[in-house]
Amino acid sequence: MEYLLQQIFNGVVFGAMYALLALGMTVIYGILRLIHFAHGALITVGGFIFYVFFTMLGLPFVAAIGIVIAFGGLLGIVLDVIAYRKVVGGPEVSMLITSLGFYIFIENLMKLIATPQPYPFKPPAFLDRIYSQWIITFRTVDIFIIITSVAIMLLFNLFIRKTKIGKAMIATAESGETARMVGINVNRIINLAFIIASAIAAITGFMWGSKYGQISYDMGFMAGVKAFVAIVIGGVGSIPGAMLGGLILGMLEMFSVAFLPPGYAGYRDGIVFFILILILIIRPSGILGEKEVK
Amino acid sequence: MLRVENIDVCYGIIPAVRELTLTVGQGQIVTLVGANGAGKTTTLKAIMGVLFPREGAIYYVDEDITRLPADKRVRKGIVLIPEGRHVFSKLSVRDNLTLGAYHRTDREGVRKDRERIYELFPVLKERESQLAGTLSGGEQQMLALGRGLMGHPDLLLLDEPSLGLAPIILEEIYEVIREINKSGITILLVEQNISMAMRIADYAYVMETGKVRTEGKSEEVMKRENIMKAYLGE
Amino acid sequence: MEPIKPPFSRINKTVLFLVAAPVLFFFLWIAETTLSKYVILIITFIGIYIVAAVSLNITNGYAGLFSLGHAGFMAVGAYTSALLTFPVKLRQPFALPHLPLIFGGPEFQWPFFPALLMGGIFAAVIAAIVGIPVLRLRGHYLAVASLGLMILINAVTMNIRNLTRGSIGINSIPKYTNIFWSYGWAVVTIYVVWRILNSSFGRAMMAIREDETAAQVQGINLLKYKLFSFTIGAFFAGIAGGLYAHLSGAIMPWVFSFNLTFQIVIMVVVGGQGTLFGPAVGAIILIVLRYALKPLEEGLGIYGLIELIYATLLIFIMMRKPEGLLGTRRKLSS
Repeated sequence: MEYLLQQIFNGVVFGAMYALLALGMTVIYGILRLIHFAHGALITVGGFIFYVFFTMLGLPFVAAIGIVIAFGGLLGIVLDVIAYRKVVGGPEVSMLITSLGFYIFIENLMKLIATPQPYPFKPPAFLDRIYSQWIITFRTVDIFIIITSVAIMLLFNLFIRKTKIGKAMIATAESGETARMVGINVNRIINLAFIIASAIAAITGFMWGSKYGQISYDMGFMAGVKAFVAIVIGGVGSIPGAMLGGLILGMLEMFSVAFLPPGYAGYRDGIVFFILILILIIRPSGILGEKEVK
Repeated sequence: MLRVENIDVCYGIIPAVRELTLTVGQGQIVTLVGANGAGKTTTLKAIMGVLFPREGAIYYVDEDITRLPADKRVRKGIVLIPEGRHVFSKLSVRDNLTLGAYHRTDREGVRKDRERIYELFPVLKERESQLAGTLSGGEQQMLALGRGLMGHPDLLLLDEPSLGLAPIILEEIYEVIREINKSGITILLVEQNISMAMRIADYAYVMETGKVRTEGKSEEVMKRENIMKAYLGE
Repeated sequence: MEPIKPPFSRINKTVLFLVAAPVLFFFLWIAETTLSKYVILIITFIGIYIVAAVSLNITNGYAGLFSLGHAGFMAVGAYTSALLTFPVKLRQPFALPHLPLIFGGPEFQWPFFPALLMGGIFAAVIAAIVGIPVLRLRGHYLAVASLGLMILINAVTMNIRNLTRGSIGINSIPKYTNIFWSYGWAVVTIYVVWRILNSSFGRAMMAIREDETAAQVQGINLLKYKLFSFTIGAFFAGIAGGLYAHLSGAIMPWVFSFNLTFQIVIMVVVGGQGTLFGPAVGAIILIVLRYALKPLEEGLGIYGLIELIYATLLIFIMMRKPEGLLGTRRKLSS
């Protein structure tokens, strides 16, 4: 029983991170109809930036997090302007390939700068405390992850529904052309989408590093692809779907690890993709998504 | 007020509009008619700035706006109400109207205008918090019209407002169009329903395969073009 | 649409193949007897990559699909053929199973060619199974599903230890592959692609690539053609994997990673998607580049440099000349 609860808790923590990543990816997908492969790279960058400013340079935690968010947003804009502007509107395959190319570029740039060796990663001491007196064992950073994720998702929802720009984003996602006719500067909206999504991904990098205890140049790959799986589960094009999908994915992953016979733990990633293929077979539009007409 | 001079507009490599020249004077209602595929929507989109001509120029109040992007043209007073309504279906009626005034900064003015739209179209007030996607065709047309008006246009471009509407609603919409024009807004109207368009317009252009075939005062064009009726199957 | 070639130039092409192949093999023979082992190894590798790249081109270039799972299919081919040809005497000490009766029994080890074919066939079967549901969906679904398939295959090869020896991998694989096998298969692959292209089948495939909706309207059954190109691509990928296994003599799960897929994708894109020789050109350029830069990377310890340059090359090509080096700009549709 305890074991089950522990696994559920872990599932929620991982699910929260997947949900954040999926959220960013969906926002960009909604507006550009583009799967932003390079999104995963932002996790890597976020993790390393935190490492540099907090662990290496000793800046206070809040400052380091602030820099992570700022840098994430900045990198997002750079990607938007350099990578996607030229290929948006072209054949879908071209966008995918270019997107992929940028991911590989960033990943190997990180490899070059940071060496292929993973770095041990520790969150600040106040987040690293372990509590095991209650039924489940957890670290404070787990609570941090859950609270921050929920906060970000709530804030984002408020933003989208209540502010003028947020509504402009929804409008742009539905029809960029009509949005222009109403006076919305669609380019600015796209910029904003990239900034928000990338900043969120960057801070998720910090969370990811804290949870796994290390950062490496390729940590973004799996994360990015799993974010996509989360989107498919929850329904491509739906923001609540992305978040739901992330949560479900986290749970599924933890459960499969927990309930598989020992020695099969290495199948963890494989199982995630097996689930993906299953979903694509049974219900490609996901739980909350728009029907994929083909 | 609006001068379109010799524009060529293409979709990819397919020319949709060729050597098109038209003028719309301040306060007029001018109509652009023609069969499907004649290039009417393309022309409106070029005037709105959603498409850009390969050749030619567009002048608005003597200013060259040929390369100006759409969102800046809205600020100048040009608003397009597109064919097929295109309301933002995931947003409420109220939000749709508010977005129509996106570029405006006078919140009081926006609020007042919204009230005015509700007076004009009471059904929108009823459905204020409903998602626009749940409205009927006629209601969506009213919403699209209202949204466009929220932008405080001086030149209103209407693309087939009659499409898919029942005759009773049609009359209502056209009444509203007349009212809008009376209040000082210039109108360029694209229509397939020629008889209604001709009744309301001062001047008419007839398009065929991307070019202007004939133009003139609407009564004259109607008389001249008895062939047109047969051609367009009226 | 490409103009239907008059029979004259088709005969020419067949003659070209019949003449060029022996000429090629003559040069290869010269190379084999005169060049150093290291250079021969590289040239043989190039041949294998050509098989892989040309096969990916069938799926990505001609059918317009976006498959990222190629390394997975190569893994299937590599492991299958390796397990079949593995010397009987070494199976026990290497903790590998003997072959079951249907595959020849415990005293049997397969000869090279049939083992290669089995590898390709097995890969093709997996492709067909996964392809049927997934190929119905939009481009990016296939991209990630195929990526997922590759990861799944990776997970399997890492974990079924009594079959694949897990992360240790299999070594002491008999080194059957030589320069002639490698280029022989390269020629076969290119020839097969050429034959497909010039058939009504190929024309249908390209129609799908240009405009799916239009193709559908013309009565073309999308799924059938997509499935076919996906499966054939996987078959040759399996062959390439088998060739690789018997060249390097050792295979490990991490060899068939996303990195490998990506390299092949770049070869196809840089060389020219949808062109006959583009992927081959891409393979040659990229492998030569790799081995030219290798000493630099290792000497200065800047790992990742080669992939970085690859990625830059890809991005550059996508921005400037997306049809690739050998490609011609296709007419823009709206």
